[in-house]
Amino acid sequence: MTATHRPTTLDELHRLRPNPRQQRLRRGLAAGVLGLGLLGTAACNPAAQNPAPAPEEGGTDFASAPTGSLLVSGYNPSDEVAQSRADYAEAQLAEVEISLDTTSFDTQKFAAQAASGDVPDLIRADRNLVATLADQELVQPIDECFAAHQVAPREYFYPATVDDVTYDGAVYGVPEFFQPSALLVNTRVLEQAGVSLEEVSTSDPQAVVELGERLTELDGDNPTRLGFDADIPGSAAMWMTLRGGAVQAPDGRPTLDTPENVETLTWMKELMDAQGGYPSIKSFKDSQDVFGDANPYVADEVAVATWAQWYVNVLSDYADDIELAAVPITDASGQPFAWAGGSAFAIPTAAKNPAAACAWAVEVTSTEAWMAAGEARAATVEEEGSINTGLFTGSPVADQAVREAFVTGSGNEQFDQVIDTYYEVLANPRTRGASAIGEQIGNDLENAVVVTLSGESDPQTALTEAQASSTRAWEQSRAGS
Amino acid sequence: MSSAHSVGVTGSGAAGPRAAAELTDTPAPRTPRGRRRKVREKYSWRESLAGYLFISPWLIGFLTFTVISMTWSLVLSFTDYNLATGSQTPAGLDNYRLVVEDPKVITSLLNTFVFVVLSVPLELVLAMVLALLLNTVRRGSGLFRTLLYLPKMTPAVATAAVFLLLLNGNEGAINAVLELFGIPGPQWLSDPSWVKPSIVVMGLWGVGGSMVLLLAALRNVPRELHEAAAVDGASSSRRFFSITVPMISPTVFFVVVVNTIAALQVFDQAYLLFYRDGNSNAPDAALFYGVYLFQQAFQQFNFGLAAAMAWLLFVIILGITAVQMLVGNRTVHYEGGR
Repeated sequence: MTATHRPTTLDELHRLRPNPRQQRLRRGLAAGVLGLGLLGTAACNPAAQNPAPAPEEGGTDFASAPTGSLLVSGYNPSDEVAQSRADYAEAQLAEVEISLDTTSFDTQKFAAQAASGDVPDLIRADRNLVATLADQELVQPIDECFAAHQVAPREYFYPATVDDVTYDGAVYGVPEFFQPSALLVNTRVLEQAGVSLEEVSTSDPQAVVELGERLTELDGDNPTRLGFDADIPGSAAMWMTLRGGAVQAPDGRPTLDTPENVETLTWMKELMDAQGGYPSIKSFKDSQDVFGDANPYVADEVAVATWAQWYVNVLSDYADDIELAAVPITDASGQPFAWAGGSAFAIPTAAKNPAAACAWAVEVTSTEAWMAAGEARAATVEEEGSINTGLFTGSPVADQAVREAFVTGSGNEQFDQVIDTYYEVLANPRTRGASAIGEQIGNDLENAVVVTLSGESDPQTALTEAQASSTRAWEQSRAGS
Repeated sequence: MSSAHSVGVTGSGAAGPRAAAELTDTPAPRTPRGRRRKVREKYSWRESLAGYLFISPWLIGFLTFTVISMTWSLVLSFTDYNLATGSQTPAGLDNYRLVVEDPKVITSLLNTFVFVVLSVPLELVLAMVLALLLNTVRRGSGLFRTLLYLPKMTPAVATAAVFLLLLNGNEGAINAVLELFGIPGPQWLSDPSWVKPSIVVMGLWGVGGSMVLLLAALRNVPRELHEAAAVDGASSSRRFFSITVPMISPTVFFVVVVNTIAALQVFDQAYLLFYRDGNSNAPDAALFYGVYLFQQAFQQFNFGLAAAMAWLLFVIILGITAVQMLVGNRTVHYEGGR
């Protein structure tokens, strides 16, 4: 702040005070700026001037041979699997000029693109987002795309993955990946603790708490080894579904505060408290070297943990340093249960070349593309002398084909058991399903879990508040209004 | 001055300006008084035009990215905006009603206010301490100034990555230091009670900006005042509170106002620490107003609601700043009067 100076003479005052003409000029300028602002805004918003035609009005011919240019957003051919699939799809679309935006899908960026009317032709996003985008009419249904390419989605893909991208009865995405979760067991720790592999089971919730407590090592209040890492809150929805609850109804409305969910959250709290409590466990996990030489299985920082299949690939580099086994996650009846998320391809409503987008998405998820990827992975594995842990594609047809052709035994008995387990649980695939407010339900659930585990709330109150929050979001969505 | 003087001399003379020029040897004014004002206005307009041209790069940016954006968001706040078609349906005050009725808005506002109350005074005190220390340094002050200002220039993402390690409750360096003094460190990032303090601590990393402003103010305090007070027997603390503080109070006031506005808009620290991987994994304790606004806009695509939230925040900031100005005008010492 600088010192202010007050006018001391009339002459000074006149010079400081704008005369009427200046005032008129300034007001005129201000009005002009505001007017220009509104005009400029309208002019800069092509979407406002040229509403994207609805697919049924536009009549996209998905069956015609694709031509023109194609911009795919969110697909990064960073490894041999993604690269070989992209190469295969490109070879099938010889008349199409394909360019890839390799950055991950970002809703903020996509919103800006949609507002400007300049969207990519195809996006690759988390399946959890597809129904939200469909609810906003930002992506278009692709049933006709599948029909034109003779793909029966519920037969070719795992039905649960199709459920994830189904909104109001129509399919809006081409599923990609289904990497199920299972329990990865550090058998070296189990042996030291005198626990047999048969004792590792999720069928009895109370037994899981006791197992976790028995296998955990604490230094004061802080764990130095986790007995049973249930991946909470990240996998909270899975545990709730496993225990007979659900976080959302089939139509997408939230169902967070059901008695089953309250009971499961109570169990989560017991499990975490038995191992040092959530805050300490989270800090401990945050400090672990998950991908490195001192990963939790090498360093014996974990006994049993919930992991999606991709982590087996990470651990395969340390096969000589770890003792590993996999156990399926099972429900109360002992039935194995495969829970997974994944990504999907979706075609924006304002895409300029939806026919090519459809063709590319179908080709890149085809069995042929996955076989090309399997071959590339097998070549890499052979070259590096590592273990082929398989590809989990989102399609039972492709999974089976890749497994039979390329995942034929690694020579490492423990890893073969782990790989077989992950393939076997695929018999019962489950997902969260689609919701117009999927991300909001996820956020509210995680908040309820965290405040409960931290002792700031009790399960019933936390889930009631989460349900109220998600219900408000649901009522603001088109699906819920 | 000479021109004005000649007008005074000749103004009442019947011979007029030409005669006056002959009498005084000064160039005759070519215009009467009324026209001269017009010349001055014209000159003033040219001067203004030049000024506007010089600032036009900023002006264009201001119009494009501030005025137009704000106007557009005001329009949005009264509509239900469909992003897919770019169409807006008038919604009256519905968005504002939803904002007021949403408990999460209250939660996020309370979180934000707590953050403001914690961060603004702490940053001011720390900046002041550092500025006072630097003000006493004679040799290498430039180096220290640069070193202390460097964190301000560090990208927020890099800062967050470092603080995720520093603030780890089990292995973090901050708790390790606290342990040296026998203080058991909290679970900064995983205990909801410590979420806001952790963001405050991360914010203090950028204290260099305020420090530089305060240091500049300290350097402008006249040495004679301190010398005179010392001669009169004033202690160093008395000199600090009776001379230094009043003399730098305009800068302190500026720092408080600017930091308050910035704290009310806090977003990046909270987002990077707790929402970086899409899944929040964060309790509502980290749900600041800016974060919730972002979620409404870019997770739920409720642009009308988000715009209404933005305008509510604007009004809140305006109100708080007005109160600060009112208080500041009564307490801040301005040289030459207020």
